[in-house]
Amino acid sequence: MDVQGLQMTQTTPVPGVFKRNPPIAGEAEAIEASKNGYAEAFSKLYALHKRRVYTLCLRMLGNVSEAEDMTQEAFLHLFRKIGSFRGESAFSTWLHRLTVNLVLMHLRKKGLNLVSLEETINPSEEEAPKRDFGSRDLQLTGSVDRVALERAVASLPPGYRMVFVLHDVEGFEHNEIATMLDCSTGNSKSQLHKARLKLRELLRRPELATQQDGLKEVAV
Amino acid sequence: MTETKLPDFDTMTPADFEQYLPEIFANGDGRVSNDPRLQTFLKNNPDCAALVRDLEAIADQARSLFEPTYEPSDAVWTGIQNKLKHADPEDDELALPQTV
Repeated sequence: MDVQGLQMTQTTPVPGVFKRNPPIAGEAEAIEASKNGYAEAFSKLYALHKRRVYTLCLRMLGNVSEAEDMTQEAFLHLFRKIGSFRGESAFSTWLHRLTVNLVLMHLRKKGLNLVSLEETINPSEEEAPKRDFGSRDLQLTGSVDRVALERAVASLPPGYRMVFVLHDVEGFEHNEIATMLDCSTGNSKSQLHKARLKLRELLRRPELATQQDGLKEVAV
Repeated sequence: MTETKLPDFDTMTPADFEQYLPEIFANGDGRVSNDPRLQTFLKNNPDCAALVRDLEAIADQARSLFEPTYEPSDAVWTGIQNKLKHADPEDDELALPQTV
């Protein structure tokens, strides 16, 4: 796999993400042992992080099969590169970034990443969020059901979903997303806003979410 | 794109508000409803206030999605083990230790 495009060197830790990734008991030992080639230690790292990596892949890709493939790729890549982890950020943050970069590279290879972003700049009429404020009698009640939101996110168009997951779920900043997606920060802000508007619409009219493809594969 | 100049909050219209909302959200701490500069506008424009409240609720709940929910099938780990076992010996990066 070409890894030149991946930013695997240690970067400045992202405070928001770092805070959400506290150290895990036994993880440091497993990392050091994995660096020395101990397979059991690598197995432990897999057990500790498989759910987070897989969930991230699933949310970004919206497809179980691709998400499992990318989870496998992420851990194979981890195996190759774990020696370069220097502990300057939380391991889970580092692994997280590695996974995001791999998924984005995968999408680029499929020609989907920027295409889908462009598509969502000018989405089809059906996919675009409504531009009106909406009548207040249909407004959300100030709280959003987690399961309903999960379902709505799964049915977002890919470009919207990508920016929403990276910013609102994963905690990346707009400038980081802009770098990762090779777009402007303004574009990232705009896409995020459109994604939230679309989610609002989907949450107010859940029957729209159930019509989307992808739902079956990530339905809870 | 350069930083967007925000409108005068005291004189802006709902259309202005809608246009600049992505920037307003991005510039603050995400709590547009608490921005003192916007209190009068939101009070006078309940539909805008409802929109802000909904978008904030969505962003708030999105943080809860950070915790992993899904588990990969056993086939993923089996696949990883197989790839490592059958790695090309020439591929130093995948050359596997003794015990896998």
